[in-house]
Amino acid sequence: MWLALLTCPVAQLSAQTLTVDTVGDSLKIHAPGFSFLKGDPVVRLKDGRSVRVELAALVLPSPGKSPAAAIRRIFAVSYDLWEERFAVNTVEKRPQSASHLALAAAEAWCVDQLAVPVKALGSLGRDLPLWIRFEYRILDEDGTTDPSDSRYTLGALIDALSRRRKTDSSTHAIEAGPFRLPTRQ
Amino acid sequence: MGALLAFSEGMRTLGLLLTLLAATPQAATDQKPAVPEGTVITSAQVTGFDIDRLSPGLREAIRNLAGTPLKKEQLDELAARIEAERPRYVAAVRTVMEPGGEARVFFVVGRQEDSTRDENVNDRYIVEQADLTGVPDSDLTQALRDDLKGLVGKRLDSGEADRFRERLERELPRYEISRRIQRGSEVGRIKLLYEARKKEPPPWLRFEPLHSNTVYHSDQGWGNIWDFNIGDRTIRFTPIFAIANAEDSVEEYSGVGLRFETRKLGTRRLGASFEWSWFDQDWRSQTLAALPLKPEVPLPYDSRTTITPLLKFAFTPDVSIAAGVSISELDALAPVTDSQMANAAVASVDFDRQWKATSDITHRAVASFAVRAGSRSLESDLAYTRYLGQGTYRFDFGRHHVQATGMAGGITGHPPLFERFALGDSLTLRGWDKYEISPAGGDRMFYSSVEYRYTGVSLFLDIGSVWDANTERQVRVSTGFGFHAGPAFLVVGFPLNTDNLTAVLALGLRIPGVGPRW
Repeated sequence: MWLALLTCPVAQLSAQTLTVDTVGDSLKIHAPGFSFLKGDPVVRLKDGRSVRVELAALVLPSPGKSPAAAIRRIFAVSYDLWEERFAVNTVEKRPQSASHLALAAAEAWCVDQLAVPVKALGSLGRDLPLWIRFEYRILDEDGTTDPSDSRYTLGALIDALSRRRKTDSSTHAIEAGPFRLPTRQ
Repeated sequence: MGALLAFSEGMRTLGLLLTLLAATPQAATDQKPAVPEGTVITSAQVTGFDIDRLSPGLREAIRNLAGTPLKKEQLDELAARIEAERPRYVAAVRTVMEPGGEARVFFVVGRQEDSTRDENVNDRYIVEQADLTGVPDSDLTQALRDDLKGLVGKRLDSGEADRFRERLERELPRYEISRRIQRGSEVGRIKLLYEARKKEPPPWLRFEPLHSNTVYHSDQGWGNIWDFNIGDRTIRFTPIFAIANAEDSVEEYSGVGLRFETRKLGTRRLGASFEWSWFDQDWRSQTLAALPLKPEVPLPYDSRTTITPLLKFAFTPDVSIAAGVSISELDALAPVTDSQMANAAVASVDFDRQWKATSDITHRAVASFAVRAGSRSLESDLAYTRYLGQGTYRFDFGRHHVQATGMAGGITGHPPLFERFALGDSLTLRGWDKYEISPAGGDRMFYSSVEYRYTGVSLFLDIGSVWDANTERQVRVSTGFGFHAGPAFLVVGFPLNTDNLTAVLALGLRIPGVGPRW
């Protein structure tokens, strides 16, 4: 059994912190108070439509570096109009699901599905500290951009010069660390 | 109605069949018609899905199968790429042997109906009412009404409800359709509501193209002009900043400007623009040395302030005209000399059309003819008439691009220096230096260019001449190559019909405007 030892978690977005622990052979992430279902997606849910959200947990050797391990999953969330509760299922061949959840519980359930195998971390977390980057992206097939003139703005220039990927504009992330895991008891 | 339901059921069955095909542990390639490996493929098509919704690279890869030997693994990879790009669809490969011993390849694509689709918890409720609002009854076909009613009395099928919304958008292209569900009159029942909102029709008039660039020219040095749009689809403010810009004429100017444009004045056919600019001039020594030899050319000036109000009218989405005045005050270089006014009536007719021949081939043709007439009746100190016609045709085929440009112009009377034609910069007659071939500009000009570009590498051939009516015309030719990566470019041009074969380098950043300039 692994036990978590948390050292100085630093969230880079205010009022949002990440913690990690290990359950069995998996590293689990907790993001209490962190909400990714808000604004328009919630309006769509309350209109009875489902919303897809892609969540990813990346384990980094240091802030901003390439991930040593990552897990990425897509969830379909819907809102029961009569029971006024949320339901979630993973979008994959063998979906997992949960229902009758409050909004915060639905979000927590999604985050809970992002378990990273500890063996994929190598020496990270034991001999070396690790950082966690948590990303989410609302997937909206209906979302289209107006091609009219939009490419030739100052923003487009900044995007081009900064080599920012197009999809990044809809991706939100928080990063925290360093974390250390104790040696096996 | 029954037939439609049967069709719908059939489509679902097809979806399930395709899902099974995709889920089979073996490959997705259909083995029934035994088309052997290595058979030459005559054509490759995507069926059941609009190929334009795939990425250009994938479309090209599919089209490039034609003429190549069939490789099952390659076809499976392409089917997997289709599924990766469109995760809600499954793709299967079908190969058909032709009588001539060649093969045709079909990628059969269908929407997934398996467990990976979104589960909507409301799918267990019965639809008691289905309505469409925001569309006059007269716009609805009987079939649409019938199929809307057909959604009632069954459990909600979110996929079917979404497909019906997509169908509404196809059959009612002037509307945006959204859908939502509400609680029904009793527990377990829901109302399915489609709401239509009229789309704003696309504007017919175009904004002035932006020309932001920072350019280094090996003969002319650095120059910058930056204009940024601020606004929306209808109204735009464009601040303009110039530092030592010498791309447009024989002037090298620095200063600021502001342009306001609207593409809709009550109707999308009518628009207006108003531009103010103040530019300070730095004349090149070559220009100042050439002017005494051309006494008919008005004197250089220290700064230029210009106001240009224009009205624009679109006859069609492709053809528009603009008319107005350009009022310029030219502050004299020598303090003892009074400033001069260069006020002109301006008018132009513009054509701009882009069309797709196939999903991979795009054409664009742009042409304009403009007249500027400086007149004493407009309190102008300089009387002149300037004509300029130009046209560009661009052909895009995947990564291949060809652009042909032609322009010609003439001026009569005594135009100010900023109206005189100049060629030989980073855009025109590349390889020549305008301050060498026509340091004071000219009142006659023609220019043509053809450029081929493959991804970021270009080859070009430029031909043109600038001269004065009372002088001999010399046609100049140049060629060269360039590298382009996003807004960054590097172009090397070589003058051809000269004894002094030296390369001219231009590099920098250029944000293309909405016109077909590179």
